[in-house]
Amino acid sequence: MTARPASTDELATLVRDAHARGAALRFEGSGRWSDGRSPATRISPNAKRVSLAALSGVVSYVPNDFTLTVRAGTTLAELDAITAPNNQWCPLLSWGDDHGTVGATFATATAGPCSEALGRPRDIALGLEFVDGTGTVIRAGGHVVKNVAGFDLTRLMVGSFGSLGAITEVSVRLRARPTADVTWSVTADGPNAREQLSRIRRGTITPLACDVLSDEVARELGVPALSALVRFGGNAALIAAARAEVSTIGTIHVLDASVWTRYRSLDPHPRRLDARPLDGAVAGRIKERFDPAGIMNPGVFGERA
Amino acid sequence: MDPLTGTLSAIVGATHVIARPSELIVYENDGLPGYHKLPRLFVAPGNREEAIAVVRALAASNAPFVARGAGTGLSAGSLADGIVMVGMQRMRRIIELDPVARFATVEPGVVNANLTKAAAPHGLHYAPDPSSQTACTIGGNVAENAGGPHCLKYGVTMNHILAATVVLPDGEVVRLEAPRDDEIGIDLLGAFVGSEGCFGIAVDVTVKLTPNPARICTMLADFMTVDGAAEAVSAIIAAGIVPAALELIDAGTIAAVEASIYAAGYPTDAAAALIVEVDGPIAGLDEDVAAVGRICRAAGARTVRSATDAAERARLWQGRKKAFGAMGRMSPNLVVQDAVVPRTKLAPVLRAIAEISARYRVTVCNVFHAGDGNLHPNIPYNASDPDEAARVHEACDEIMALCIAEGGTITGEHGVGLDKLPYMDALFTPDSLDAMCRLRSAFDPARRANPGKVVPIHRCKEWLAAPGVEA
Repeated sequence: MTARPASTDELATLVRDAHARGAALRFEGSGRWSDGRSPATRISPNAKRVSLAALSGVVSYVPNDFTLTVRAGTTLAELDAITAPNNQWCPLLSWGDDHGTVGATFATATAGPCSEALGRPRDIALGLEFVDGTGTVIRAGGHVVKNVAGFDLTRLMVGSFGSLGAITEVSVRLRARPTADVTWSVTADGPNAREQLSRIRRGTITPLACDVLSDEVARELGVPALSALVRFGGNAALIAAARAEVSTIGTIHVLDASVWTRYRSLDPHPRRLDARPLDGAVAGRIKERFDPAGIMNPGVFGERA
Repeated sequence: MDPLTGTLSAIVGATHVIARPSELIVYENDGLPGYHKLPRLFVAPGNREEAIAVVRALAASNAPFVARGAGTGLSAGSLADGIVMVGMQRMRRIIELDPVARFATVEPGVVNANLTKAAAPHGLHYAPDPSSQTACTIGGNVAENAGGPHCLKYGVTMNHILAATVVLPDGEVVRLEAPRDDEIGIDLLGAFVGSEGCFGIAVDVTVKLTPNPARICTMLADFMTVDGAAEAVSAIIAAGIVPAALELIDAGTIAAVEASIYAAGYPTDAAAALIVEVDGPIAGLDEDVAAVGRICRAAGARTVRSATDAAERARLWQGRKKAFGAMGRMSPNLVVQDAVVPRTKLAPVLRAIAEISARYRVTVCNVFHAGDGNLHPNIPYNASDPDEAARVHEACDEIMALCIAEGGTITGEHGVGLDKLPYMDALFTPDSLDAMCRLRSAFDPARRANPGKVVPIHRCKEWLAAPGVEA
C-alpha cells in the first residue's frame, strides 16, 4: 500500500522509522515516472511506495517579488494557474505532461524546450526543503533571487532523483510572461532544410524555443515535414523583427501555444532516462552521508540496492 | 626551516614559495578591512601538474591549506591563519576558446576582464561582472559564485559554468560536469560552485561565452525619495522588462562620487538615482527604453537621461563602478557589506538601515543591485579607532539581523568566509548547517581545505563525534 504523508513532519517520521529498520522507500509524485524505461524501474521492487502528492499548495507568494514557494505535490498545471492571474510564470515547461508535480520536476531536473532560453530547474530553484535519509528536515537556500550563504544543498538536491532525500517544498524564481508570445511552425525545403531551420536558434533575436522536428513528431503534431517548432517572446516590435528574419529561412504558420503541451508530452522526448552512476568517490560519500541506510530510492543510479 | 618549504620548492621552484613572515604579510588580508591572518607559507603553482602535485604534497603531510585567486574577496574567505596558502594567480592561460560553440576553458588564475577581452573579437563576452572584474580571477569567481550588476539579466557565475577539473583536498583529480538533459545524476558541479574553497581547487574551468548585445541603452533616473526609486525598480520588473542592470545609488553615495574625481554628473540634491541598462537586439529596444522612462516618471522620477553612445554610457556608469573608490577618499577603511532582501522590502529596509546608522553614528552609503534586492551598505570608517570600529561592527550585526528578519539572506555574492560566520546560526537551522557540513566532508573528509570558514564548526555533528575533537 502506498503511504501518503500529509505534512513534512509525517514524512519525516515515516523516513526516520524506515531508516531505523533499513526499509527501502520509493518516492513518487503523480506517478509520471513509472513507465518501462524510467530510471525508477531500477528502484528495488521491495521498496515501500511513498506518494508526496498530498503535500501540495502554496506556502508563500508575493507577486511583486517574483518568487513563489510551493509544496512538492503541487502540479505544474496548478503552478501555472497560481501565477497566471499576475501575468507571471515559472517557465519550467518541462518534458512530460502538466499533471507532473513540482517536486518530481526538480528531483529529476527535467528540462524542456524553453530551458536554453529560460533556465533549467537548477537555474530556477532558489531554495527547497527536504527530508534526508535519516528523517531529518533540512532547509536549503532561501526565498530571494540571489543567495550565496552556505554550501549549495539546493543544487545538490535538484536532479538527485530522490536518492539523497525527498523534496517537500521548492522556492522558485518567476518571470513576467512576455507581452507577446508567439508560436510558429517554420517549414523549409531542400537537402539542407534541417540545418537551415536550426539557424533560427542563432538568429539576431534569440527564440524562447526552436526544435527541429523529426518526421514522426511533425506528423503527430499535424505540422508539415521538415519543420521547426519555434516560440518567440517579447514586445510587438521584437516579434515583428523576428518574423521578418525567420521568414527568410522558411514558411511560417502561426500555431496555438497549446501545441507545446502536446509536444512536451509526446514520446519519445529527451527525458532523463540514463543515469550517471554514483561511481565517483565524492558522489558515493554524499550518498553515505545523506542516506546512510541506503533506503532512499535505492538502485535508481544503478547502484546495488 | 619549515619542512614543507623544501617539498613545495621542489615542485614549483624556490622563487614561487614564500616563507619569510616579512614577505608573507602581503597575503595577510583580502579586500575586507579588519581581518589579518598570516599564512604559514605561500606557494604558487604555475600549471595544472604543479597544482595537483602541491595539493598531493599537502595531503601527504596532512597540512591544511587555503586557495587564493587575486585576493579581492570581501568576506575574509581566503585568509590563511597559520596554514598554507596556495596562490592560483600564475595559472592564467586561456586553454581553449571556441567562438562557434561559445565556450572557453581557462586556468583558474585568468582575470575575469581578460577573458572578456579575449572573447571580444568574436562578438562574445563572459557575462558575470563583479565590480573587481579587472583584478579578480575566474577561479575566485567560481569559489564565491560571484555576481555583478549584469547578473540581473544574465545570471550569476553558477549559471555560466559548464565544467571544472578539480583536485580534491586528498589529491584525487575529478571532472565535474552538470548532468546532461537526458541523464540523471548528482550535480556535483552545482555543489562545487560557491563552495568557497572548501571542496577543492579547480585547475581548469569551462565557462559559457555570451553574445554581445547588438545595442545597449543606459538610463539615469533621479528621485526625490528613496521609496520612489524602489517603487520604480519593482514596476520595471513587473512590466516584464528584464534590464541588463538595475542599480540604485543613494544620496550618500552620490555625494561621495560627485566630490571625487569620478564625478559623473549625478544630481547631488536627489535622494536616490537609478541606473537602468537595457540591451538586446535593436528591434524592440526603443519600446523598452520608452517604457522604462514612463515607469520611472510615474514613480516620481524628476529627470530621466538616456545614453546609447559608449562615452556617455561610460560616464553614467563611472560613478557606480568607482563608488567604492570615491568612498575611499572619505576615510582610511571601507566595509563593503552584502545582503539580500525581497525586492518589495527595499524601501522599508533602506529606512531601517538609515535609522541603524544614525543610532551607531556611522555613515552608510548604499549603492547596489536593486533589481535583485542585493544590498551593498558601505561603511567608510577608521579601523584604527577601536570605538568607531566597534560601532561599525555592531551596526553590521543589526543590518544582517534586519535582512534575515525581512526574509532575506546575509550574502548575495560575497560569500560567508569568516566575516558572515556569526550570522549563519540565525539564518539556518542546526540540522541544515549540519547537512552543509556533511556535504563538505564528502568532498573533504579530512577538512583540510579552508578550515574554519562558511559553516560554524559547532554545527558539524560528524566532526564533533570524531575522536580527539572537543566541542
